[in-house]
Amino acid sequence: MTRNIKFILNNEFINADVNPAGVILDFIRDNQLTGTKEGCKEGDCGACTVLIGELKNDEVVYKSINSCLFPLGNVHGKHVVTIEGINQSGKELTPIQQAFVEEGASQCGFCTPGFIISLTGYLLSAESLDAKDALYSMDGNICRCTGHNSIIRAAERITSKFNKLTGQSENKIQVLADYGFVPDYFLHIKERLSKIDKAEFHREVNGDSTYFVSGGSDLFVQIPDVMMKSTIKFLYDNPEIKFIREENGHILIGSTSTVNEVLNSKIMLTYFPSLFNFIELFGSLPIRNSATIGGNLNNASPIGDMTSFFLGLNSTIVLADRDDNLREIPMRDYYLSYKKTARNGDEYMKYLYFKIPTKPYYFNFEKVSKRTYLDIASVNSTILIETSDDIISDVHISAGGVSAIPLYLRKTRDFLLNKTLSVDLIKDAVEMAGNEAAPISDARGAADYKKLLLKRLLFSHFIKLFPEIISIKDTVID
Amino acid sequence: MKNYDIINHVRGESQFIDDLNVPQGTLFATVYGSPSAHGKILNLDLSEARAIKGVKDIITYVDIPGQNQIGGIIKDEELLAEHEVHFMQMPIALVVAESEFIAREAARKIKIEIEQYEVITEPREAFAKNKLIAPPRVFEGGNVDAAWAQCDYIIEGDCDSGGQEHLYLETQGAFAIPLEGGTFKVISSTQGPTAVQRVASNVLGIPMNKIEVEVLRLGGGFGGKEDQASPWAGMAALCAYKLKRPVKLILPRHDDMRMTGKRHPYSSDYKLGLKADGTILALEATYFQNSGASADLSPAVLDRTLFHAANAYHIPNVRVTGVMCKTNLPSNTAFRGFGGPQGKFVIEAAIFKASEVMGMPAYEIQKKNLLKENDEFHFGQKAKHCRARLSWEKMEEEFKVYDRISAIEKYNSENDLMKKGYAFMPICFGISFTNTLMNQASALVNIYTDGSVTFTTAAVEMGQGVNAKIKEIISRMLGISHDSIKTEPTNTSRNANTSPTAASSGADLNGNAAKIASSILRDRLLRSAAEELKLPLYEISIKDEVVCHKGEPTELKWHELILRTYNKRISLQAQAFYATPNIFFDRVTNKGDAFFYHVYGTAYIEVTVDCLKGTYQFNAVKVMHDFGESLNEVIDRGQAEGAIIQGLGWMTLEEVIYNKDGRLLSDLLSTYKVPDIHFAPEDMDVRFLGLPNPVGIMGTKAIGEPPLMYGIGGYFAIMNAVKAFRPGASFKISSPYTAEKVLMNLYSNVNIDEKISSLSVTEEK
Repeated sequence: MTRNIKFILNNEFINADVNPAGVILDFIRDNQLTGTKEGCKEGDCGACTVLIGELKNDEVVYKSINSCLFPLGNVHGKHVVTIEGINQSGKELTPIQQAFVEEGASQCGFCTPGFIISLTGYLLSAESLDAKDALYSMDGNICRCTGHNSIIRAAERITSKFNKLTGQSENKIQVLADYGFVPDYFLHIKERLSKIDKAEFHREVNGDSTYFVSGGSDLFVQIPDVMMKSTIKFLYDNPEIKFIREENGHILIGSTSTVNEVLNSKIMLTYFPSLFNFIELFGSLPIRNSATIGGNLNNASPIGDMTSFFLGLNSTIVLADRDDNLREIPMRDYYLSYKKTARNGDEYMKYLYFKIPTKPYYFNFEKVSKRTYLDIASVNSTILIETSDDIISDVHISAGGVSAIPLYLRKTRDFLLNKTLSVDLIKDAVEMAGNEAAPISDARGAADYKKLLLKRLLFSHFIKLFPEIISIKDTVID
Repeated sequence: MKNYDIINHVRGESQFIDDLNVPQGTLFATVYGSPSAHGKILNLDLSEARAIKGVKDIITYVDIPGQNQIGGIIKDEELLAEHEVHFMQMPIALVVAESEFIAREAARKIKIEIEQYEVITEPREAFAKNKLIAPPRVFEGGNVDAAWAQCDYIIEGDCDSGGQEHLYLETQGAFAIPLEGGTFKVISSTQGPTAVQRVASNVLGIPMNKIEVEVLRLGGGFGGKEDQASPWAGMAALCAYKLKRPVKLILPRHDDMRMTGKRHPYSSDYKLGLKADGTILALEATYFQNSGASADLSPAVLDRTLFHAANAYHIPNVRVTGVMCKTNLPSNTAFRGFGGPQGKFVIEAAIFKASEVMGMPAYEIQKKNLLKENDEFHFGQKAKHCRARLSWEKMEEEFKVYDRISAIEKYNSENDLMKKGYAFMPICFGISFTNTLMNQASALVNIYTDGSVTFTTAAVEMGQGVNAKIKEIISRMLGISHDSIKTEPTNTSRNANTSPTAASSGADLNGNAAKIASSILRDRLLRSAAEELKLPLYEISIKDEVVCHKGEPTELKWHELILRTYNKRISLQAQAFYATPNIFFDRVTNKGDAFFYHVYGTAYIEVTVDCLKGTYQFNAVKVMHDFGESLNEVIDRGQAEGAIIQGLGWMTLEEVIYNKDGRLLSDLLSTYKVPDIHFAPEDMDVRFLGLPNPVGIMGTKAIGEPPLMYGIGGYFAIMNAVKAFRPGASFKISSPYTAEKVLMNLYSNVNIDEKISSLSVTEEK
């Protein structure tokens, strides 16, 4: 079950025969790099955060990921950076480490390397420094001791002191090395990575049952031990299904496009500029960096955020079988029962597509979870409305967390179609949507709450999109 | 002042148990827990699990050579279940294998048959069925029964506060190594090394002197590793004993969350009597503590609830009753605040309800009743150096809070979607273990012949900075720099019979012991220096590692003095002991000066609620806290901020949910949410009251727990905002105030407190 994998771990070239279904965290720690910690093994604490550097357009692009969920099969040809790889020789501290010391931004120390790595990743990837963005770069890291205020202050020290840093030079890594953010060996990583043959890695291992793996951020939460013994087909680095493009009035998104790639894509932001406000609601930065659209949609969780999003855009999924025969299924028909899709075991999702809406159109996404960020939704919902002379000419609404499957609100859609928006119409539609939902009580809320919340989120769609028609005062139940 | 631990932390070089290099031949243990919350074990089939390649042994209670008993206060807890299980995931067997992966695989193959018994998860149900850990405890002061007649208002009600998962980032774990002569070294992530030593000794049936327990540091404790680190260490020791190999046992997060206890949930009844002007005359309350399946620390936690029932208020007539209810949950345990927060929550809930009924802002009632100098607590102690009013008034003044409240009222009148709310939260928290005998500590300070120094105390470092503080004390006492002093791990062979590092007392107790040890060494060194320099002793001092004469540096440097002193055959090692003076508590009358001193402070908290969706964000936390004279402001501020956020988390996001079968539903970080970086209020402003503590070491005050209780204000700030959206409504008080409960309060009538709603005075503004 082993495969040969080559990558650079900090300053060391690794050429190892390993089970590619092992996660990078275990590999790192077994190699005495114990600064990277295991806190939860489900991508919810960030103590295991490492950076992954990849050659893109003749540049090494770094991003943070949760090493506890990232399989070795996904690191071939890449640079893996742990806290030990950031440390300067001797006892010298990087400016980020120094800022943490000065602000007392570390107490027990267990989570600290993860925060330092995330913030270092931010400096390596940001175009310009901004305190808010720096904070967001650490949204996948949990500190139980400090309450985070001292960490925010440490980050502010960096962004204010080095605010002009990134604009100074074309070679960012050179500049960061000059200021001591990263050791000098970073300067040679590009050249060293280019010598590893990316195609050399065999993207398939054989075992008991078959799994297609892309980012790994779901399968390795749920069944890491099973993965170690399974047939795995690694999709993450397959360039053929990593794209976002516009074609004949449609947008096509390859299944291994990461959440971050989709949400930050120029095409998506052109047609859905409000997406910009929702990005941080989807998982955390390390999860957005590794989780893919194909993974999220095929995990088939009734509460997946990207699932809700693309269902609300009335997308169609394109599957391929072993012989690359393609099959199309509208997302609204894709989910059969809890965690069960119309996909056959030997098929994988190649891409999805949806029609670019006709103007004027209105789009909104809503999500409420127990904790606003880095949390799974209690309920989420997406709406897309096209109008023509104040008449609703087309509408799609999704609702997650209120049924065993991601719900496409068919009845509500049919009810709204070809009608003129008014307070009464919206209230009736919201009531109807409530009746389409059948939530269950669980850790994310009682059934009554989820039903109420769905209705509130639908009101929220309309209040945000049509403030001239409806306001919160129209929605008070009493 | 440098804190070396933090420098190692930011470089990822600080070692935790799982980071240690393990010796060759180390085995790995995983815990098999009960799939049922209550029942009789009919059959345990280990055969399939044993057959897996790489499994070395599966250990059950029959393998225990000593006692299968780990209860501390009450002997009511088995290490491994024998015939009955009392909570879901109660440890039954230990699978020891060549790797953690194999151990987990094998554990999944264990088969068990259990005869199901009735499962109780709610404390009031346990009380009704007379399932109690121990008889109820009552604290009483004044004459409650006579007081009601003098009251203009009597407010009666009930309220609940939820549990709280510690979520230390480093899970529980231990590493046991068999040494020669039937002795063991146990490296444990524990706040109580001596508790681990005692448990391992009991379980193995060998004397305590054959077990050495060492603690490097903890990746967070928060009380969760005070008593509940011991079982895992006992299990690792048991495996090492039987297999004669080093054994590592680290709980995966999922097991840690399901197998360990949490902050005790409480369900309480209260009756509060007030005069029309807001003066509180009487408090009567009953606290139904959800203790879980065994006693653990529950009796001590309950006591602190009773001590702090009146929070920072002087209430002349108090009768409070605590009931330890036995349920089929993992035994709940110490958590920062130790019952104090639960007690304070109830009095704050009662005051909030009183404010609704009386139409008087809660802060007026709070302020009117704050403790004054020499006011007597209901347990007989008098408030000394009382700073309740001082911190409140300085808070009012420095933060201009009434201007802020006006701004909130204006904002609320102009906004429909968003409403702001605020609350004040004064605190008063007693410092000392309420079990007087535990207020003792010891320290050992060594000076080596090159002048370098090490120290070790009973204190366990878990991020609270106790070692940095003790280092500062030694540095000041000996006149040497921090660079010359190294902290040694806490170890039962160096300091025996230690109290756990808990009750905010670590720096006080161990700092005092270290100070005494340092002063013994200083005396010897000054005498030696006076002799060397032929100068009068009283004119000699040591500063910046140089011997000074009348404050001026002499030629005699520290390292030279050390060498010369050694050459004269004078000991450069000192061990010292400290016991807190002047505290006592009579457990029959429940009266006495239980605390060495109290910590005071006041917080003002603001929140914004999205009334469309029920979500909220804390905007401002403004605190005037009585730190005493700080040894290290960065550390103390960090403790305060971290505790406040943890308190806010307890009140808001953090929801421990068990179903009726006793299964924990919030059993992962994906279902149990603690504050993240976005949760942090933008305006967190913690200020130092700035007065020294007359009885504290070097003027300091303890800091670990008290600020957590400011978080209680967060609950009432949210409720204040919700009421701005639904004026006149009164809601049931039940923490945590999740987005779910907020939305239900905004738009449904299920949690309406009908009785108070009908009484309440609608504010007209």
